[in-house]
Amino acid sequence: MPAKPKATAKAANPEPKATPPDAPPVTVGERSKQRYYQTNPVERRFEEVGFPGLTPAEKKTYTHARLILPVANRQVSLSNKTDREYWKQVTKEGLPCRRLKNNYNWGTDKHGRDISTYRIDELKKRSLSQAKLTALNVLHQQFLLKREAARSKGAKLPQEDIDQEKQRRQEMAVLKRELYGEIPGPLANDPEWDDVIPIPQEESQDALARIAYPDDYAEAVSYLRAVMASEEYSPRCLRLTERVIAMNPGHYTVWLYRFKIVSALKLSITDEIQWLNDVALDHLKNYQIWHHRQLLLDHHYANTLSSDAEAAKQFAKSETDFISKILSKDTKNYHVWSYRQYLITKLDYWSPFELATTQSMIEDDLRNNSAWSHRFFIVFSDPSISTKGSASTEHDPKVPDAIIDREIAYAQEKIKLAPQNQSSWLYLRGVLAKGGRGLDTVGEFASQFFSNLGAEDEEVTSSHALDLMSEVYHKQGDIEKAKLCLKELSEKWDPVREGYWKYRLSELK
Amino acid sequence: MAASVEQQQQQQAGPAAPGAQQGASIPSLFMFPPMIRDALETDSSNVQDDTVDEVLPFLTGKEHSQLNAHGIPRLDKERHVRFVKKQLGVLPSMYVGADPSRPWIFYWCLNALSLLGEDLEPYRARLIETVRPIQNKTGGFGGGFGQSSHLATTYAIVLSLALVGGDEAFEVVDRRSMWKWLCQLKQEDGGFQMAVGGEEDVRGAYCASVVISLLNLPLDLSSDSPAYAAGHTSLLSGLGEWVRLCQTYEGGVSANHGVEAHGAYAFCALGCLSIIDSPHRSIRRYMDVPRLISWLSSRQYAPEGGFSGRTNKLVDGCYSHWVGGCWPLIEASLSGPEGPTAGPAGRPLEDTDVDDSLFSRNGLIRYILCCCQDMSKRGGMRDKPSKYSDAYHTCYVLSGLSSAQNKWRLVASRADETLLGDDLWEVLPHTKGEQIFDEDDRIGTIHPVYAIPQHRVDAIRSYFSSKEGF
Ligand SMILES: [Zn+2]
Repeated sequence: MPAKPKATAKAANPEPKATPPDAPPVTVGERSKQRYYQTNPVERRFEEVGFPGLTPAEKKTYTHARLILPVANRQVSLSNKTDREYWKQVTKEGLPCRRLKNNYNWGTDKHGRDISTYRIDELKKRSLSQAKLTALNVLHQQFLLKREAARSKGAKLPQEDIDQEKQRRQEMAVLKRELYGEIPGPLANDPEWDDVIPIPQEESQDALARIAYPDDYAEAVSYLRAVMASEEYSPRCLRLTERVIAMNPGHYTVWLYRFKIVSALKLSITDEIQWLNDVALDHLKNYQIWHHRQLLLDHHYANTLSSDAEAAKQFAKSETDFISKILSKDTKNYHVWSYRQYLITKLDYWSPFELATTQSMIEDDLRNNSAWSHRFFIVFSDPSISTKGSASTEHDPKVPDAIIDREIAYAQEKIKLAPQNQSSWLYLRGVLAKGGRGLDTVGEFASQFFSNLGAEDEEVTSSHALDLMSEVYHKQGDIEKAKLCLKELSEKWDPVREGYWKYRLSELK
Repeated sequence: MAASVEQQQQQQAGPAAPGAQQGASIPSLFMFPPMIRDALETDSSNVQDDTVDEVLPFLTGKEHSQLNAHGIPRLDKERHVRFVKKQLGVLPSMYVGADPSRPWIFYWCLNALSLLGEDLEPYRARLIETVRPIQNKTGGFGGGFGQSSHLATTYAIVLSLALVGGDEAFEVVDRRSMWKWLCQLKQEDGGFQMAVGGEEDVRGAYCASVVISLLNLPLDLSSDSPAYAAGHTSLLSGLGEWVRLCQTYEGGVSANHGVEAHGAYAFCALGCLSIIDSPHRSIRRYMDVPRLISWLSSRQYAPEGGFSGRTNKLVDGCYSHWVGGCWPLIEASLSGPEGPTAGPAGRPLEDTDVDDSLFSRNGLIRYILCCCQDMSKRGGMRDKPSKYSDAYHTCYVLSGLSSAQNKWRLVASRADETLLGDDLWEVLPHTKGEQIFDEDDRIGTIHPVYAIPQHRVDAIRSYFSSKEGF
């Protein structure tokens, strides 16, 4: 080992006295610079005046300082004897062989700020934080080892240890964020997820429509990818799906995965529905919720409801109650109506109650076409009175006349309240088609909504009546009257559809 | 409430009538509430009245600084291009909801840019790199990396790749796994699920038909398909019958059997039927065409001019495509193949100057140009003036504008029923009747079935038609 040169060794080549003493450094960079000059004699003079401007003594020091470095840094190896001789000389002359490098790179902090611009006290604080983080990390590693040991014995760590670790990770998270801008998400901080290696999404900077994901979301879906890839179905995964759904209820993949978990773990369907109700109320426009519900229904039906008629009825009742609650907030929600129809078919719930609740929705708003459509569904898809697979616009001979009569009367009653409401007219036409009855059977009814056709004092309160009557007149062979209806529609009462009415006219020839 | 035309017109001609700008000629149809209105108020009629109040200032020119002689502002292409390009850049964190449907953004934006005449070349490499990780080994594309494959996002990505074109783009798709996956989605009743375990609806029928026919996938059904056990042997068997049962008593089409008729599903049904056979055969075979036309036609409202998606619902710019895009398919189903247009020396295409369109092209164009353009710094197209513009509406409003400005004709139908989607279509500017928009505002065209430009359809089809098997 070479003898260490003492910093206090008397130098045979003292620096010129002209150099003024430095002011105390403010920043880390300034301090580095000062230290550099302190350990590199003559360097500042050399920078100022160049080699020729140095005094002979300075020239000697400067040259020696450069010459000794390769040996001091072990770039040149010497024999043992020469080596001893060398260090003797260095010590004797007080030559600067322990030189600091110039322009030391302190790196940057999380904001991209050069650490050399830190004030001295700022750096001190930062170093303290780093030391604290290191200490916490040691404890964290100990925790992992301890847990591993416990696991290998089939044991679990006491809750106290886990709670401490959680607390520790939160402290570490704060420090990491403060020091490096790293934001370890809540899952990375939760020892429960330690065994999962998240799969992050790595995209190039110029990917199309790249979304700047919020950190928590990016973390949660990274864990989601990992557990989906390993096909894990566990309570913690269920909680993870809930976390992702809360942040992005439109994430269809997480819903499909959630259903797999629910069925794999044989979780209570009623609990899941209960949870789903709250989600549905928070996200009225979301449709994945309703498909999930449909999957739950299928599952529940296969396992329980198909063999328990009473339970099925109860379930249908509670479901329709909840659906009604949602529909009262969003009366034309397509996916809710769609689920309602699925439910009725699946559970064979063609009840008078269902007809009554739909009727009250029609009465609340005669123009709620979704409610009219649902009525058509519950009346004409009921398997006890209809033919399976009969198309909606075709005659179904199985439907009893009494039902056709009832529905015609219902539509007519509603048409009278608002003759220009297309929903009720379409319903009337739909019923007639199902019943195999001609439009002419309602000709008299429709004729009350216009008068003096073609005359100066023509009055029309329903364009839909004129539309229907043009077909009735046509069927009755009165082409001229049929044409007149279409002409009046085209020119006066519904001219935005002129092209259509003219097409209908051309078909009359 | 009975009202005579004369009474109404007197009321409307009063001094308080909303005035158009000096000299602009706007038909009164688009300036006043409809002639027949029921006295009975309900929630639906109230929101409808509010909507008319909302759009009238835009239709009558009050909200615009510059109008042409027909009272219509120009299409601000530059503004909308800027909006769309921004949507393809980095999206702020509030877009997290779009994470499962990001591939749609690619299609909406690229298609909109194409309609606006922009070059898509700069997006090819970026698109390819972006969609690669979204493809799953088990076939199909999800909404993003690590998401389950979904027919909607797969449709959007296949169309996007077709839009940018080129062998490298086409080769991104793994056809073998795509075929396997589609076999998993095919259901016993003939329809398609949107994802394995996902919902079955008419979007599935359309998206699957598009993907199968553009990629020239084999139709044989794998024996592990859920449909195979039910006796199906082809990906398309029973599909037409399944779509048929989506037509409702109203005449429109619903998402699946027994639900309410809805404009978007009408387009999906007609698109699907026009792929599995030529429209004059399959639409007539599987749809009650008179009821369908009647329902489609009643989607157009005055004074708004635009289309609504369902009976007694409000107009919305996106139905310009979902409903507006049905018309070329309906016309083809009515007229059948018409043969090629005669060349310059032959008979002129337009025998007469009378507009024989089944819907009001000018009504729709008015609604789009007056109400759907966001003329603020933001740009883009929207549902209605009170809504924000977005990529979805920009794509479909422009698509609707294109179908109103241009006329598609079925020239020749496929030689053989097995040649899926192999009909010959032709497009020409629609010139009959009065042209109310400036010629500069005429935009590009999209194929009536595939909703991307025709030459893009031809390119991807011819690339894959040379493939034997996988
Ligand atoms: Zn819309």
